[in-house]
Amino acid sequence: MRMMEIIPIIVFFMGMFGLMFSKNIIKSVACLVLMEMAVIVFILGLSYRAGVLPPIGRGLQYNLDGIADPLPQALMITAIIIGLAVTAIDFTMIIHLVRKHKSTDWNEVKALSRESFDKC
Amino acid sequence: MTLALLLLWVVSGLLILQERTVFRMVIYLGVFSLITTIIFLFQGAPDVALANASVSGFSTIFLIVCFEKYYSAKDSAKKTKPNMPKVRLAGVCRGVAVLLFSVLMCVMFIHFLPDSEVSTYLKHQYATLFYSDVGGENAVTAIYLAYRLYDTVFEALMLVVSVIAVVHLSFFDEMSVSSGRQSEIRHSATAIRTIRVVCPIIILFGVYLIANGHLSPGGGFQGGVAVAVFFVCRFMIFNIYDLPVGTVLKDEKIVFLGIILVAVFVIFLGIHQYFPYQHTALLQTLYLLMMNTLIGVKVALGFMMLFYRYVAVDRQ
Repeated sequence: MRMMEIIPIIVFFMGMFGLMFSKNIIKSVACLVLMEMAVIVFILGLSYRAGVLPPIGRGLQYNLDGIADPLPQALMITAIIIGLAVTAIDFTMIIHLVRKHKSTDWNEVKALSRESFDKC
Repeated sequence: MTLALLLLWVVSGLLILQERTVFRMVIYLGVFSLITTIIFLFQGAPDVALANASVSGFSTIFLIVCFEKYYSAKDSAKKTKPNMPKVRLAGVCRGVAVLLFSVLMCVMFIHFLPDSEVSTYLKHQYATLFYSDVGGENAVTAIYLAYRLYDTVFEALMLVVSVIAVVHLSFFDEMSVSSGRQSEIRHSATAIRTIRVVCPIIILFGVYLIANGHLSPGGGFQGGVAVAVFFVCRFMIFNIYDLPVGTVLKDEKIVFLGIILVAVFVIFLGIHQYFPYQHTALLQTLYLLMMNTLIGVKVALGFMMLFYRYVAVDRQ
């Protein structure tokens, strides 16, 4: 029963499908967030066991098998904060596009930028 | 129970995929992040859960305010349609191909998952040694403030770089041209009353998370985002841009320098060796508290800057 590894993989590829298929730029960024969350759940779920305890307290060395792995947790906190920063930069660029082309459609933006490229 | 939660997670992801309007997608994204938070809690990771909860709350408010400002129905009505070729059949073929590719990759990844157990060597090392090496009672905080300090410093650097990028990619050149002006966004009176009541609780929670980061779930990152949410609430109550952008940017860089200096002196130079042995526990606690506070202030300033920078840009 390895659902904590299988289901994040499914969600990751759902996000990849949305990223490749969606026409809306904002939806692409939302799918990027989906993929990021799936990766985080997958990495934390690698050492998952039912009823696992958080690695907090003093006598952790007496209950080594019952606690969660603290190393991926420390790394994933970093990943979450960097994810928000990356999303913020994405949205800055999207707002530029919306102001320039008045559209959030990939195809329209592509066609419009090609037109403006042809003009000059 | 866990399986039901995971299935709910998948369903909320599918809701994001099928949604076409932006506002509803943002709300679904918030729901998705909330369910992810509960999954983190089930995985025995309350620190990650707190980080994700505060980040998802922040980002949901952020996106809603952002799109309230930039992405109105007026814009989508008056946009000019470019002469795009009609490629409906090709689009369907492309969709089917992408779907097949995703399903194939998914099946392949699940099929080739390794059967072996994850190595527990580092887990045992850290769980046994962190109390005498670093101090505090939270193994996660001990790892990211001592054993993996390079990661934390690099993460703080990434945040500084992203804030600088957002500020310099924004639209107008003068740093604080909009300070002291009223925003044109009007929020509902009920929402503002509610925020007024919740506001002090939020900042108290943020300070609690920062100050107790080495003893209980929480820490600099989580508390910093909670404090940033307080400033977002403050903007929503008063509706005024009174933030001097240049000063806050400078402050953030100074706090980042402080993080590097404390890290260098305590971890890399080992300053506690020069103090008597009986003070070690006190020095360790002082170090953890100081780093958590510095990281919290830095993260709060950075995210506050991100939010105000989005909202304070004028609509033409």
